[in-house]
Amino acid sequence: MTIAPEKLTQYDEYVEALDLLDEDSRFEYIIDIGKRADKVAFPAECMDEAHMMHGCMSKVWIVHDMEGDGHNFRGQSDAIIVKGLVSMMTGSFSGLTTAELGELTLDHVRGLNLGALTMQRQVGMMAMLKHMQKLSRISDLAAAN
Amino acid sequence: MNDMNQSANLAGHNVEGAFDVARIRQDFPILGRQIHGKPLVYFDSGASAQKPRAVIDAMTAVLENEYTNVHRGAHYLSQTLTDRYEGVRGTIARFLNAPSEEQIIITRNTTEAINLVAATYGRRFLNKGDGVLISDMEHHANIVPWQLLRDEIGIELKIAPIDDRGVLDLDAYAALLDGNTKLVAMTHCSNVLGTHVPAKEIIGLAHERGIPVLLDGSQSVVHSRIDVQDLDVDFFVFTGHKLYGPTAIGVLYGKAELLAKMPPYQGGGDMIASVTYEKTTYEEPPYRFEAGTPPIVEAIGLGAAIDYVTAIGMDKIMAHEKALLAYATEQLAALGDIRLFGTAPEKAAILSFVQEGIHPFDTAATLDRAGVAVRVGQHCAEPLMARLGVDGTVRASLAMYNTTAEIDVMIEALERARTLFG
Repeated sequence: MTIAPEKLTQYDEYVEALDLLDEDSRFEYIIDIGKRADKVAFPAECMDEAHMMHGCMSKVWIVHDMEGDGHNFRGQSDAIIVKGLVSMMTGSFSGLTTAELGELTLDHVRGLNLGALTMQRQVGMMAMLKHMQKLSRISDLAAAN
Repeated sequence: MNDMNQSANLAGHNVEGAFDVARIRQDFPILGRQIHGKPLVYFDSGASAQKPRAVIDAMTAVLENEYTNVHRGAHYLSQTLTDRYEGVRGTIARFLNAPSEEQIIITRNTTEAINLVAATYGRRFLNKGDGVLISDMEHHANIVPWQLLRDEIGIELKIAPIDDRGVLDLDAYAALLDGNTKLVAMTHCSNVLGTHVPAKEIIGLAHERGIPVLLDGSQSVVHSRIDVQDLDVDFFVFTGHKLYGPTAIGVLYGKAELLAKMPPYQGGGDMIASVTYEKTTYEEPPYRFEAGTPPIVEAIGLGAAIDYVTAIGMDKIMAHEKALLAYATEQLAALGDIRLFGTAPEKAAILSFVQEGIHPFDTAATLDRAGVAVRVGQHCAEPLMARLGVDGTVRASLAMYNTTAEIDVMIEALERARTLFG
């Protein structure tokens, strides 16, 4: 199974936009996304231990809900850059089914071409992806019970 | 990098002939690198320092021409390398002014050295209910080994408080020595705040009560002159890689009478006198505590690092770093939006800070874009972060090869962070 291209429109937009930018501009682009995400309300009650991702140098929270059989994610962080990165991840991969999310790999993270910014961020984004995949599986299990 | 070298000399902190930072920089090949198209400004030496050519060459020479295993080899290579390896023990002993090289135990790092003391001295001489006194500014390496011992035999972990400047509260420390305290284990210089603790007073107060003292010298060995006899310290530990040497080698110095009473740490080759299935007898210190093939090449590297530092002169390094610290502190304060943690009168060139209203990660990421390497987070000192009331800080830890021009690069990048995130 492959993911239908129309389900990855936002991801493709990020890939194209980042592809046109040099490294310094990419850095600023992510900050801009982080700042824009800051203006979208994130439920304060979800900024808790249960929604927190561990192992980050900043705090990252991801909330999840369902729309049909697609998983929707929203992310938050106390650092602007990380907020930008988590927004890119949740924006790129919301709406996918559990199976489609399961198909995403490190190649999709690499596709954003952020590796040159620093390895740390690529590793962090892979951790975000794995967290989203885990949330989708937990959600499916809860629904099945 | 030439501009940086020139500026450093023009800054007036170095008297001609006394300390030539431009020449020293040439000894560290990595300092010629560019990061994100900009000259590397390495302010993460507190985590691990860069290596001078002397260390790299010494290790390469061993690997290329002299390598074999040490001890008991009946051939030329083994005997010559054993002499060199054991010679490093003497180099370390002289560096610390230890009475004897037999009091120098080679470990993997500071963490292993502290675990060794906890597992041997701790298990043999501490009992349920005995107190181990540490400070409120310890690295996890000097917290967790004692917690493991607490879980195993029921010791009590006691914490000596610090004030808001990061200065140890000596009155509270003295009061905590009374009662059940049987061992003091304390940082000699905080990896987060840079605070130098008044070691002689700490040790004197403990010894008045018959309590031995372990000092964690991971940072102090880089930024100050160590004399274990003058300190009268019972155990002193440090790691090689922060002292411009390689990773995977550390040192435990111990008083001879204590080491003699301590049981082995790990079992294996090299640490035994004889082995039968019925009974094994152990070597005398230091070998009793060094099971298995030691870090031979790393030891040669550490010896070269100590020779390098000694040749430059610790007093000159300290003077240079003191000038850098004063300049960096002044420049950070001038920004007006910096909260600096650690303002003890006696401190090393370690600057932990946050930019008001900006997450430390965002600050550090902006510094990285400018080629400035700093550490961000909790610096393996979560309890200290809780004491300071922050989730984390940015830490710029300076070394002998840094310059005032590099500090200017950091300040400029901090101004950019204010523009980007303010």
